[in-house]
Amino acid sequence: MNDYEFTLKFRLPESGKNPEEYIAALADAGCDDALVGVGRPGRIALDFTRTATSATDAIVSALKDVRKAIPKAELVEASPDFVGLTDVAEIAGCTRQNMRKLMTTHLASFPAPVHDGSSAVWHLATVLRWLHEKQQRSVDVTLLEVAKINMALNIAKERAAIPNADQKKFTDLLMLAAAT
Amino acid sequence: MTRNRHPKPEVEAALKHAEECGWRVEQGGAHAWGKMYCPYNDDSCRCGEYCITSIWSTPKNAGNHGKQLRRAVDNCSIRKKLMALRVSEADDE
Repeated sequence: MNDYEFTLKFRLPESGKNPEEYIAALADAGCDDALVGVGRPGRIALDFTRTATSATDAIVSALKDVRKAIPKAELVEASPDFVGLTDVAEIAGCTRQNMRKLMTTHLASFPAPVHDGSSAVWHLATVLRWLHEKQQRSVDVTLLEVAKINMALNIAKERAAIPNADQKKFTDLLMLAAAT
Repeated sequence: MTRNRHPKPEVEAALKHAEECGWRVEQGGAHAWGKMYCPYNDDSCRCGEYCITSIWSTPKNAGNHGKQLRRAVDNCSIRKKLMALRVSEADDE
């Protein structure tokens, strides 16, 4: 058994209910291993430290528990997953400048970002794997496991958000987007 | 403001740390022991949700809950900015 740390953020159903009213239900559903943040109206954040046999078990069971307590809760984001260069540097234990240099000198192999621009964003799992495989850096195995599941979860959520009319085009687009 | 000590020492220590950083700790609520409120809670704060954080009376693991509460306090983006400012001011002297 391992302790897995991750955060799940949800949008609450538009019932006008105060997020605090869900705290009792969350405790009953077994979410008393999470820190519950209720500082923003309409939102709830759960910072879990869950003991489980795998990251998948930890995150899947946590999602089920939250669904039990708040059936209509809509997942906003699972983290850690989306990271900027500063976050990556912090995790890798180096300065932002060093991380930037590492990226620019290995631009060909460095993982492609989810979003490029003035503030680029990566999936943490892709960067951790790169650091481990191409830079022979030791990475936190538990963190990598969590980051991988969170990446799949966040992508699944986005996939589900594609309007019905465009779902059919998705398979074609998938083939065009992925490298062969 | 008076409040009772939290029955779990690890949680109580985290609450003391929060209060030292200016957070308000309030007792009360149905299932939870109480709540803590960030002193900087405003629109510019990016930690948003954790500006009001629920404190369990009987968390699954008191040690972990204490750590989580500390993290909420230490991760506050405005607190981080203020700390960085203080460090750079000290460097200037």
